Amino acid sequence: MTMSPRAITIIGFAVVIAGLFLLEFLARRPGNRIPTLGQWLGYLMRPRIGRVLILLGWWWLGWHYFAR
Amino acid sequence: MATEDLPRDRGRSRRPRSSFWPGHGTNRARTAVIGIILAGYAWAAGAAAPFSATALICVLIPGVVLAGLASWRPPERIPPPDRLDITGMSFWVICVAALFEWEASAYRDNSPPWHPSLTDLVNPLIGPHILKSAAILIWILAGWALVRR
Repeated sequence: MTMSPRAITIIGFAVVIAGLFLLEFLARRPGNRIPTLGQWLGYLMRPRIGRVLILLGWWWLGWHYFAR
Repeated sequence: MATEDLPRDRGRSRRPRSSFWPGHGTNRARTAVIGIILAGYAWAAGAAAPFSATALICVLIPGVVLAGLASWRPPERIPPPDRLDITGMSFWVICVAALFEWEASAYRDNSPPWHPSLTDLVNPLIGPHILKSAAILIWILAGWALVRR
């Protein structure tokens, strides 16, 4: 049985996104060294430019998916 | 390291319980009203046709409101960690880089059917009104969570 390139692409996205959820799950376990998504985003948003860029990225996502 | 300062009581109190919802425990009515307004807004925004001025305005309003709140009436912020564990952070970097690489390879090829971009895969999923509205609500809540950071 051979998989189509489209199926491989979709599986690739699914694996990476599942990996992101797995990291968040692991980060929330006690004693883990992995930061949560909120922690590292908060760290990146400490300088004003980081805060502006992250919020712009959030707005761009909304524009890209909901306005187009 | 930042995470070493966290309590190890099964992770139940790693963050202030009132960190996300405004007035948690003291003003649930206000939270409920805000939730209903946001859900209504998301429902209305979800009905806007793609590429229309209405859809653009529906996306602009949350951006302007949250930017205004962040600038002039910033909420109580969740203190960020002073440092990040490099090893722990590297797992995130690998995953995010893989996602961007996978997306970039599709984008470079003009998102053909055999290698679609994430956008082309997500758009049909949020086609139904209720799912698009739910996605818009999640997007607005994520924006609020970012403003709290």
